[in-house]
Amino acid sequence: MPVGPFGLDPLIWAPLRLALAVGLALFLVLNGALAQIYLERKLQAIMQDRLGPIHVGPQGLLQTLADAIKLLAKEDVRARLTDKWFFLAAPSIVFAPMLASYAVLPFAKDFVGVDLNVGVLYLATLGSMTVLGIVIAGWASNNKYSLVGGMRSAGQLISYEVPQLLSLITVVLVSGSLSMVQITESQHDFRINLFILPLAFVTYFIAALAETNRNPFDLPEAESELVAGFLTEYSGMRWGVFFLAEYGEVTVVSAILTTLWLGGWSGPWVDSLPILGVAYFTLKTYLIVLVFMWIRATLPRFRIDQLMSFCWKSLIPVTIANILVTAVLLLAFPTTRVPVAVANWLMLGAFVVAIPLLQRRRLAGVRARLRAEAERRAIAV
Amino acid sequence: MTIPLAAFIAVSALLFFVGAAGVLVRRNAVVILMCVELMLNAANLALVAFSRRLGLIDERGSVFVVFVFVVAAAEVAVGLAIVLAMYRNRPTVDLDEVQQMRG
Amino acid sequence: MDGIGTALFAVLALGLVGGGLAVVLVNRITAAALFMAFTFLCNAGMFLLLGAEVIAMFQVIIYVGAITVLIIFGVMLTPQGDRRYGLFFQKQTPVAAIVLAAVAIPVVVFAFSFRDPTGAPHLAPGDLKALTTSIFVDYAVPFEIASILLLAAMVGAIVLVKRESDDAAGGER
Repeated sequence: MPVGPFGLDPLIWAPLRLALAVGLALFLVLNGALAQIYLERKLQAIMQDRLGPIHVGPQGLLQTLADAIKLLAKEDVRARLTDKWFFLAAPSIVFAPMLASYAVLPFAKDFVGVDLNVGVLYLATLGSMTVLGIVIAGWASNNKYSLVGGMRSAGQLISYEVPQLLSLITVVLVSGSLSMVQITESQHDFRINLFILPLAFVTYFIAALAETNRNPFDLPEAESELVAGFLTEYSGMRWGVFFLAEYGEVTVVSAILTTLWLGGWSGPWVDSLPILGVAYFTLKTYLIVLVFMWIRATLPRFRIDQLMSFCWKSLIPVTIANILVTAVLLLAFPTTRVPVAVANWLMLGAFVVAIPLLQRRRLAGVRARLRAEAERRAIAV
Repeated sequence: MTIPLAAFIAVSALLFFVGAAGVLVRRNAVVILMCVELMLNAANLALVAFSRRLGLIDERGSVFVVFVFVVAAAEVAVGLAIVLAMYRNRPTVDLDEVQQMRG
Repeated sequence: MDGIGTALFAVLALGLVGGGLAVVLVNRITAAALFMAFTFLCNAGMFLLLGAEVIAMFQVIIYVGAITVLIIFGVMLTPQGDRRYGLFFQKQTPVAAIVLAAVAIPVVVFAFSFRDPTGAPHLAPGDLKALTTSIFVDYAVPFEIASILLLAAMVGAIVLVKRESDDAAGGER
């Protein structure tokens, strides 16, 4: 009879390990969300010259905990005309894939749930499942604001998934592996992918902003137009689950950025003291989370047509060109990464300079056409 | 003992005919599209099972699954477009009521 | 591992066939769409059980992430009233039953009587390298043609659904 770890029967050990892993991931998600909400409120308060939460606990540290307790204690309300099964299923459909993502995040050397050899693909897969839950939530609420939010979200998430995946491909090309651990290990001695593939970093970051429904891409829940988008009919802990999923998603995306571009757990003295890797990983991840918050406090929201045209006319062509250039240069110079890096920095410069110019020209064209049309109508009347 | 190949093939056959029955019995165009997807999935399962268990050199069977994915995506996109165009002309998605082509 | 593998297989097989039956039998189309997504996930689990991880990932990305969402769009955009007649008492049901039985019985009998050929080599775990080599070396040209098919389908779908220019004034910019 086979015996698993700790002398347990594998038939018992497997579910036990599953329960432990889910518990640990839940613990991480909950704590991360608590910390992030506090951080976000405090940071935005500082940027907008306010105080932010100060009353509960020292410096308002316990404010989010109080809010969480309030959410848990709220009455569980479901409007009568909502589609029952869809309405109940939607929060879990959004939450579960996010939770499953934690399985492959490499927190430190030998400190990873499972080292899948298709880790990057696995994360992309789970990211693509979120859209289902959001669409279902929008439809099930039986409310026009929710429906518009869900529809917008489906269009946005499906569109931005394309540049997101295409940006990942360049990193896979350079690292030569799909495993999160091997990608981290390929970036030893500060030869991190950010220096080699800055353009892919920027395109992935933009796509990730859209995928997590963060500003400036938070159209699905645009409160000035759609009340709260697909969240309108949700309240209490169901709403809380959506919220947790959003913050968890931000953490996961930041962790992916950290692993793929910033070298994950690597840092000074990490070889002699592996536990330091966890600190580096967390630090780098939260650095990116801070940038997410910074952007939220700074940028106005896109309009839906701008959002779509930016994705299909700017991001996707740029990422495809990036893959082409990276692949060709890697084949031409298999030993050195310098040509790839030079080409990528040049393309990043061109991208940053060209996009505003192109958008301005396009907008000018649109305005001219609208003006001509208005004049034609005026003459006709 | 690993799970025998026959078990996978049996499940695949069952799923395929469940889907086929759905295509024949249901009359809503969207549900028929769903049932066609079920049938494609059953075929995928059989292809992958044979490819993994009997593939001598490489993953040729699984490559066909990739092509099935492509065909399925194209089929759903065009199929739904046809359903919507049909619905716009005559407000029904019930295939029994679409009989303009009947002589 | 073996016991767990068998247990997983049993659960997934039940999920696959049960989910498929639910899609066919359930009256509400919204629920049928959810059951379809569930069936797709179970099928991905089957692929994982067979050791085909990449195919399983593609299955979830394409079927759950894209096709189910498209179908739910279809459900939203068309009216889903009650059917005016029962599921099993229609004029085509007897014909359907005969045709289906004629095809299904031999196939199912064959499938259940199928025995593994002995001595067949089992592939190494993981299908990443083998699959990608097959796609990009042996089947490179069909793969490119498949991409053209997708493009054609996308353009075709847009053309089919696009309204005539009269009421498109506010749409396209």
